[in-house]
Amino acid sequence: MRVTFPYFGYDTFALKGFLEDLGAEVVLPPPTSRRTVELGVKFSPELICMPFKITLGNFIEAIECGADTILMAAGARKCRFGYYHYLQEIALKGTGKKFKLVPVTQYSASDFIFRLMPSLFDVSPLRVSRAVYLLLAKSALTRDFRRLLNRKRALNFASAERLIKPALNVITAARSLSEIKRAHQTLKLMFNLNGGKPPLRVGLVGEIFFTIDQFANQEIEKKLGQLGVEVIFERCLYHHLRHLLRVDFGYLRSRRLAYYYLQECPGGEAIRTVGEAAWFIRQGVDGIVHVFPFTCMPENIAFEALQRLCEQSGVPLLSLSFDEHTSPTGLVTRLEAFVELLRRRKRGRRFFGN
Amino acid sequence: MRIGIPRALLYYRYGRFWKRFLEELGGEVVLSRKTDEETLQTGLLYVPSEVCLPIKIVAGHLLQLKNDVEAVFFPRLNWLGDKLFACPKMIGIVDVARMLIGEKVKLIAPTINGNLFRAHFAAGLQINPNPLKVWSAWKKTKGELHRKPESVPRNFSGSNSKEMTYPSIALIGHFYNIGDEFISRAIVNTFKQNGYQIFSKEDLPDNILSRADGFSQNIRWVYERELFNAFEYFLGKVDGFCVVVSMGCGPDSLVAEFMRERAQDLGVPFLLLVIDEHTGEAGLVTRIEAFIELLRRRKKGRLN
Repeated sequence: MRVTFPYFGYDTFALKGFLEDLGAEVVLPPPTSRRTVELGVKFSPELICMPFKITLGNFIEAIECGADTILMAAGARKCRFGYYHYLQEIALKGTGKKFKLVPVTQYSASDFIFRLMPSLFDVSPLRVSRAVYLLLAKSALTRDFRRLLNRKRALNFASAERLIKPALNVITAARSLSEIKRAHQTLKLMFNLNGGKPPLRVGLVGEIFFTIDQFANQEIEKKLGQLGVEVIFERCLYHHLRHLLRVDFGYLRSRRLAYYYLQECPGGEAIRTVGEAAWFIRQGVDGIVHVFPFTCMPENIAFEALQRLCEQSGVPLLSLSFDEHTSPTGLVTRLEAFVELLRRRKRGRRFFGN
Repeated sequence: MRIGIPRALLYYRYGRFWKRFLEELGGEVVLSRKTDEETLQTGLLYVPSEVCLPIKIVAGHLLQLKNDVEAVFFPRLNWLGDKLFACPKMIGIVDVARMLIGEKVKLIAPTINGNLFRAHFAAGLQINPNPLKVWSAWKKTKGELHRKPESVPRNFSGSNSKEMTYPSIALIGHFYNIGDEFISRAIVNTFKQNGYQIFSKEDLPDNILSRADGFSQNIRWVYERELFNAFEYFLGKVDGFCVVVSMGCGPDSLVAEFMRERAQDLGVPFLLLVIDEHTGEAGLVTRIEAFIELLRRRKKGRLN
């Protein structure tokens, strides 16, 4: 059995390690590229959102590479995400390849640990729990790596880019808890920040796939880093896993902060988006960047709330919706204009005291 | 108290009941004007451009009501029955509505969590603090809940007749799209003028619509399940399907695809109309006429 799953930003390596801990043979699709998206678009319905197209493209390419079992997460079915796997199965059958698609239902950790994974890989639940624990530790490592990288990029872009490859090697090499602990130290030494603080910070909020996957958001963190802006974020696999394991206290905070704007959860991550933005504003960020796929339902509602939030607190908001036609140049122009605005705003404040 | 009900979204399902219920409680009910170009244009200014047409329209209605009522009655449908959710935008639009109408106008927005009575009772108390009065108003008017709204396109021959002498078409779409004349007028009229009998999901009884067998049990959106069940029911009973989807509607983009897939397998004529605020009437009519031409030729071919 050769297992595959869609790309998920830097967290791909953590997930790969998790499956390998369970004794599976993992076949990663080639990194997401233009071709992936084109393949995905070809077999997708016209009006569906972008993550569907990208993940479908990943699957097609993975099958080409010889994978035969596909793991796909499935959500709570308020948002379209919960239905992806039905349609992906139909679409993949259309390509005429042989495969097995296993939907991994989230929101039931016990089912995942005691039934699904043991039956799929023929391992004991104990081993699964241990692997989940390691996955948590590793995704925390990935999160720290992203944080360090974003800060380093804002301070010294060229050296940050040079450090990505060796840092990823450190992350993939860490296989046990003690190694992961040591990797934290190694990364800190590697990035060597010396307490430097970039002049501008923006908070990145939005749909989970688009905040995490660099291909999907067209490397927005890198582009902002190049402009000398540090991107701070909270959405990552680590927090999502904690949310699924019901030990996520950040969610409660988000709920509380977002309650004024959204009283009922419209599904997806709308509450978190608004709550995190409110939290970032309290921490004193200079701007909020909101990313989501075109026609995303919960994020559009969140967008409305964010507009209100940013209006009240006087923090600039840049809302970007992505689909396969979003041009990188257009994105850069908008980001440059936004950063220029932030810079002038900050300078004005220094001069005029507000 | 002057209470406004926006003539959009759930109004097309519960509107009649709401009106009588609120009047029974001693409120003066103000309905917003029927949707027109102006409503839509006002709505467009206040909601993100990516949301679907009905949401833009409801924003227009809310803004129109805002100036001449004391309260707006706009319940939030969270889930119904077996934890079947409403679409995220329908849940979230109530929060957007709160921001749109401002602080001065009171928003009466009970959350329907599976139980219609509890939600309406809570809302009733906000209008009339006497629980007995609310209870009796509910008792008196709850019969309206099961009556189908007037807004469904009626046919010249009464659509419940078992004999189908006319060629027939199933118009599959959300009640707030089909029921809104502004959206569906061109579509309905074109079919009628060509002598087609129109069936929509509002013609079907609840037990068919809420069925949970086959694929529809996987659909956890309450109205999408209705659409899919209606589609399954009409398969083989009508000459063709016309599915109306608003651009940017998330659930429809999936469920319409499931329907298309199924119709393709069975070789049933299937027309998918995607509408938004830029859809021209002429374009719609042309597409429908072409579709009707196809249906006719197909029938002729069968007869020969």
